[in-house]
Amino acid sequence: MAIELVCPAGSLPALKTAVDAGADCVYVGLRDATNARNFTGLNFDDRALADGVAYAHARGAKVLLALNTYPRSDNWARWTAAVDTAAERGIDAVILADPGLMRYALRTHPSLRRHLSVQGSATSYEAINFYHEQFGIQRAVLPRVLSLAQVEQVIAHTPVEIELFGFGGLCVMVEGRCALSAYATGESPNCNGACSPGKYVRWEQTAAGMEARVNGILIDRFAADERAGYPTLCKGRFAVGSETYYAIEEPTSLNTLELLPEIARMGVAAIKIEGRQRSPAYVGQVTRVWRQAIDRVAHEGDRFRPDAAWLRELARVSEGQSQTLGAYHRPWK
Amino acid sequence: MEPKLPAFIVPGRVAALVGRLPQLPPALALAGALNLALGRVLPREQLEPLAGKRLLVRVTDAGLALRFALGANGFRPVFDRQPDDLRISATLRDFLALALREEDADTLFFGRRLLMEGDTELGLLVKNTLDAVDWAALRPALPRVGLRPG
Amino acid sequence: MKLALGPLLYYWTRKRVLDFYDEVAAAPLDIVYLGETVCSRRHELRLPDWLDIGERLAAAGKEVVISSQTLIESESDLKTLRRIAEQARFRVEANDMGAVRLLAGSDGWVAGPSLNVFNDHTLGMLVELGARRFVAPPEMAGEALARVRAAHGQPLETEVFAFGRLPLAYSARCFTARHFNLQKDNCGFRCIEFDDGLALDTRDGRPFLTINGIQTQSARVHNLLGDLPALADAAVDILRISPQAHHMAAIATLFADAVGGRRAPREAFDASRALMPAEACNGFWHGRAGIDEYVA
Repeated sequence: MAIELVCPAGSLPALKTAVDAGADCVYVGLRDATNARNFTGLNFDDRALADGVAYAHARGAKVLLALNTYPRSDNWARWTAAVDTAAERGIDAVILADPGLMRYALRTHPSLRRHLSVQGSATSYEAINFYHEQFGIQRAVLPRVLSLAQVEQVIAHTPVEIELFGFGGLCVMVEGRCALSAYATGESPNCNGACSPGKYVRWEQTAAGMEARVNGILIDRFAADERAGYPTLCKGRFAVGSETYYAIEEPTSLNTLELLPEIARMGVAAIKIEGRQRSPAYVGQVTRVWRQAIDRVAHEGDRFRPDAAWLRELARVSEGQSQTLGAYHRPWK
Repeated sequence: MEPKLPAFIVPGRVAALVGRLPQLPPALALAGALNLALGRVLPREQLEPLAGKRLLVRVTDAGLALRFALGANGFRPVFDRQPDDLRISATLRDFLALALREEDADTLFFGRRLLMEGDTELGLLVKNTLDAVDWAALRPALPRVGLRPG
Repeated sequence: MKLALGPLLYYWTRKRVLDFYDEVAAAPLDIVYLGETVCSRRHELRLPDWLDIGERLAAAGKEVVISSQTLIESESDLKTLRRIAEQARFRVEANDMGAVRLLAGSDGWVAGPSLNVFNDHTLGMLVELGARRFVAPPEMAGEALARVRAAHGQPLETEVFAFGRLPLAYSARCFTARHFNLQKDNCGFRCIEFDDGLALDTRDGRPFLTINGIQTQSARVHNLLGDLPALADAAVDILRISPQAHHMAAIATLFADAVGGRRAPREAFDASRALMPAEACNGFWHGRAGIDEYVA
């Protein structure tokens, strides 16, 4: 079975661009904390969602709705309403992290497909099979912590389809198990759907260089010619011992293009592209490259080599304009 | 696909010249273009957090520094002494590439070609609101203004 | 209110660990969580050693719970997890959903702090599967916790992370190894050199985080001693104290005295300042940035 290409969209134009560029699925979020890219001005209202689903379905593409944050008891109804919206709007699958919400979806809309979000932090087949047995999860998105050999081990022991991150921003922490943003700002990916939210971020040009602060905490300082990254807490430069360096992770993007033959061989169901916060231009650029690559790997198998032009294109749009194979490649760890 | 817009910068002597010219006419032109779009293609309600904020758009290679604010009657140039809430700087080429949707704002930002200072939340709001405008769907209804992305 | 000692998050020598738990046996603590929850490469103690310590603590009158590893990656991690789930001597704290699968149907296990239980629906599901205690995620505010408890309705032991550097994040990558330019597979176990973790400061010199192998902690010490009345109001049953290198018995005694009404919470908090390796914080409990120190 061919690998599905799952592309991000933070707006209707981005969704249309992704579909036109060859995405099999587009994943989107609503304009609130029910998804993990809850940024000002981003995401879909009800009208845009209806238009997006109609546009994608008319062209044979699917739309997935990310409802991948954790509702609290006091705002629970907002999340269940979002699941209802997904069912009413003909969404092809919901991407969930909270077990309580999975149970609600299963009981209320049993025919709505359920995917386990990366925010669910399921890193083993035992965990994935738990979600499968309890809530009929049909696909799981793996956190970016496993090596390819470990991914293969998961696939061998679960009936659940496995989706891997192929390209884009890289969480170095296990998704769903990171409270760095909550610690620094009080708002977290888990509960508020945003890491280092914009309202806490200040960029200031100072005599010492361009400074990025999150809630007053100095994350990094850039000289004029240095590449910048998102002002996320894990990608700053800090002092440890006598050294100042990227103590946790460099500003860098994940790019697994060269691993595609191996990923295809081991039976990965889908490749996910990160970046709902990016513009339609990025979505188009990245989707076109990955569409061609996936199509070519289907014909060439192990003989597949990525085009130099593709790699250039992906490098250009990457955070810090550098790339890594991440945990898929053992030495990164 | 590489961007279609070629790399260029406005020659320094032009910038020096423009920098000495009054900034009111270009500021008025930009505010006018934005006002044509406001309510029609730019959702006024979503831009409400911008109300009363000072925005500075600096076209670095052209010597242009346009300050404006969103008020009850739309965008207007401002020349007061209040500090800017948000400053966005890039070259003319990169601003055009953004407007034409050939470049992604974050890509330019990572390469230090787009500089955003001050209230980052306002910057995200501007960027994401512009990204969400569905030009294709609006094209038949759109007035003929200068920059109309394809 | 009972006092629990959380699992040891740092890597100490075998001798030091054994001495530490001898001290713990005599300290005013009701519950002790044991086991390696951070990194499977750490091997000063293996599961049988932890079970031995558990026997000694049980003999000293402590309730003993074995905690499972938070980030499960390899088949050998799963093997250890199964052995923990299969031993019937002590209760088990499940720290990922794989552990929950293995424990489901057995009675009395503990839903650990990394399970992301933020609402009563998820909590109710875990209780149906046999959980009899739940440890709130450290980032959860007291108010939100009170709502979960109220909505759940049934009696259920509720535990809160009340003292220690906050476990904030886990990664496939080891940041201690990275600091020494070593690969994780060949790390030299350098984390054993930092008994309270490795300090990470901002470029303008503010303490920010603490590196502990694949785990990232706060630099500040989360300390809810001063918030004891609010903890009681929120129907919290158990306070978790997370091990640190020094003054553990003294910290436990301060908590015990404050909980027992022998010392005013605020006064106990002030006394604890001298016993911490860094400044205090309590923002999470108050629904604020975790790094904040908030006095209502």
